Amino acid sequence: MDQLLQHFANTIIMGGTYALLGIGLTLIFGIMRIVNFTHGELYAFGAYMMYFFATIIGMNFFVAIAFAIAAGMLLGMLLEFSLLRPKRGADIDTTMLIMIGAWIIMQNLEHLTWGGIAKSIPSPLPETPLVIGPISISWLRLMVLVIALLLIAATYSVINLTKLGKAMRATFQDSSTAALMGINVNAIYTLTFGFGSALAAAAGALLGPVFVVTPTMGDLASLKAFAIVILGGLGNITGAAIGGFILALAEEIGAGYISSGYRDAMGFVIIIIVLLFRPTGLFARAERVG
Amino acid sequence: MLEIRGLVCRYGKVTALDGISLTVPEKKLVVLVGANGAGKSTTLRAISGLVPAASGQVIFNGEDITGMSASSILAKGIAHCPEGRRVFGQMTVLENLEIGAYLRKDTREIAADRDRVLSLFPRLAERRRQVAGTLSGGEQQMLAIGRSMMSRPKLIMFDEPSLGLAPNIVEQTFSIIQGIREAGTTVMMVEQNAFAALDMCDYAYLLEAGSMVLEGDGKELISNPHVREAYLGVTAHA
Repeated sequence: MDQLLQHFANTIIMGGTYALLGIGLTLIFGIMRIVNFTHGELYAFGAYMMYFFATIIGMNFFVAIAFAIAAGMLLGMLLEFSLLRPKRGADIDTTMLIMIGAWIIMQNLEHLTWGGIAKSIPSPLPETPLVIGPISISWLRLMVLVIALLLIAATYSVINLTKLGKAMRATFQDSSTAALMGINVNAIYTLTFGFGSALAAAAGALLGPVFVVTPTMGDLASLKAFAIVILGGLGNITGAAIGGFILALAEEIGAGYISSGYRDAMGFVIIIIVLLFRPTGLFARAERVG
Repeated sequence: MLEIRGLVCRYGKVTALDGISLTVPEKKLVVLVGANGAGKSTTLRAISGLVPAASGQVIFNGEDITGMSASSILAKGIAHCPEGRRVFGQMTVLENLEIGAYLRKDTREIAADRDRVLSLFPRLAERRRQVAGTLSGGEQQMLAIGRSMMSRPKLIMFDEPSLGLAPNIVEQTFSIIQGIREAGTTVMMVEQNAFAALDMCDYAYLLEAGSMVLEGDGKELISNPHVREAYLGVTAHA
């Protein structure tokens, strides 16, 4: 029982960051329909930027997180502007190949820049964990959860409540009519890609200090993000948030009760089950076609 | 108010508009009739900046707006209510209207205009929080018209407003468009329902295969033998 409670606590902690990864990808893959293989690299980029700002430059830990997120946003916007904008309207295979190329280049650049040795980012938070009854949680992980939840709430508000969010939703429902409403469709594409990338970088910046930072850390993050998006239904932000927590739960249960080697396999198990039984995702609404 | 001179538009190697010219005077209702594929929608799309012009000019209030972005053309005062209504199906009625006023910053005035549109279309007011995709075809058309009014345009272009609507709704739609014209907004309309369109307009143009073949008062075109035979389903000998 005590063990189960601890698993639940771990689930909530990891679920927050997974939700960030998933929401970021659902904006890009689910709404913009770009199969974004660079999502994991933006996660890794966020972690390296965190290492750069917090450990190398020695910035305040929290300011460094904000800088890493901003850097991720800028890189995402640059990717969209330079690689995707010239191919707007091209079929999905073309953009997929471009993104695979970008993924390989980005990963190797990380390797070239930072070397293959894992980097660790020391945190200023107390080492002794917070103990509540049978559960113990490190302060660092608790902070990660709080920041992740704040970012999820902020994303949700931007998309649903602001004029920018309305313009985004209008653009991805019908871009030429959105243009007739005076929306600068190109800017919305770039901004949305940047926004999704910022969330991936945020997940990286938050988990960087929890784990270690390596050039290949993005691969698994990409796969997990796709699992979460498929689980929640393409383009469904609430679905992606809940999907993040479900993946975290599956990993905890898989690692705790089957074998710790199964932790990272749980994402694939989920993708297969969802695609077999509910291919539109767990939270898909009925869609009117035509 | 709006003047088009020798407009040419191409989709790849296909010429959709082959040097057309037309004029829309202020506070008038001008219609563009023609068969499917004649280039009517392309004309509107070229005016609103969705399709680039290969050559020719679009002049609005004395200013050359050829090649401007869709959003700057809207800012100049030309709204385009597209074919097939194209409401944002996953957004509510209110959100659709707000998007129509996207370029405006005068929040209070926007709210007043929104209320005016809702009082003009009581069905929309009842369904204001409903997602637009769940509205009937006629209600979606009302929403599309209302949305195009939200930018406070000087000229509204309607593309096939009667398409796919029940006959009584068609009549209602046309009387709303008449009302917009009477309230002082210039209207340009593309219609396949040639008789109704010619009957209500001040001036009309007939487009065939990308070229302007006829122009004149609506009544004049209605009595033209070619128009009667080809577009009104009346044979010349009847």
